[in-house]
Amino acid sequence: MRLTALLAMAARVKVPPDYRYGTSRPWTVGAQRMNPPGKKRRKVFVEPIQPEDWSLFKGDTVEVLAGKDSGKQGKISQVIRARNWVILEGLNTHYRYIGKSGEYRGTYIASESPLLVREVALVDPSDRKPTQVEWRFTEEGERVRVSLRSGRILPKPVVQRRDGIVPEQWKDGPKDTSPDDALEKTYSASLKTFEEEIAGATGVVETRAGRRTFWY
Amino acid sequence: MGLLSGLARGLVRGADRMAEWTSKRGSRTFYKNRGARKTGVLTSSGKFVRVREMVPELVVPRLDAGFKLKPYVSYRAPLGTEEPQTPHKLFMEVVAPRIEKEIKEGTFDPDNLEKYGLERSQEGKIFQLYPKNYVR
Repeated sequence: MRLTALLAMAARVKVPPDYRYGTSRPWTVGAQRMNPPGKKRRKVFVEPIQPEDWSLFKGDTVEVLAGKDSGKQGKISQVIRARNWVILEGLNTHYRYIGKSGEYRGTYIASESPLLVREVALVDPSDRKPTQVEWRFTEEGERVRVSLRSGRILPKPVVQRRDGIVPEQWKDGPKDTSPDDALEKTYSASLKTFEEEIAGATGVVETRAGRRTFWY
Repeated sequence: MGLLSGLARGLVRGADRMAEWTSKRGSRTFYKNRGARKTGVLTSSGKFVRVREMVPELVVPRLDAGFKLKPYVSYRAPLGTEEPQTPHKLFMEVVAPRIEKEIKEGTFDPDNLEKYGLERSQEGKIFQLYPKNYVR
């Protein structure tokens, strides 16, 4: 097991139940160096929050309530639910060198540190102050986040695609089926199998049947 | 990642035992198929007779006149809302209206359910449903 062992390192990782999640995702090389397969670390206690009560999503604007940058508002760039972490863009930063090699000390960058969900609060878009948020149902039956102070609905942030395509502004190319043609309903239910329908449509008459087979 | 760099990392010698044994690796006389199926029968005189039924034939709709589907789907298209077809839905759409009509006319015959599509056995059919004897 040599070449294939190296190739397997790039494959999907299976994570043990007592895995300690860090800021690097488990399949990255840095995380695999920090948590090799046999390593056991002291358990980190994480406040249990039910999946249906989770109200922070990537792209939301939140205000920091505690820590070095308390009082500032920022956008969430990453959510790590396993540890109730939220990483904001450019806030709660410490500085480090990245890309060090040989004698070169590397680039000095600001790297963000994660914040717990209890240390941040969602910002009400009407008055831009931090509020507590609850999940409620609208009259149409849609489940939305509602600010408790002003009652305004906080819409879920629109997820931008990584390839930068905005579906509403997409211009169809010559090989693209238009949305109407793709959604057209042309199925008509019948008791024939697909093959029998095609045989009927193309006029294939087959009188030979296969020989008898048995199964047990 | 070549084998040499792997060896340099691992400092062990020998062939890669875990690599797949394919038809490209054996000696000149080694034969191994890679999944292609036979399209005929080899006779006793050594001649290969092609059997038309064993040769796959692609049945393709006419792509020139009035065919609107293209290879890709536009990004603007939303997810479809049609539910997957179930046996219950198929029965309600196809067979139930026929039975209702016959009951209203008074010609419903519970002993002759074959005219509504009941198949008591799969014998004699070309495309048998169980055991399924067609590829799709």
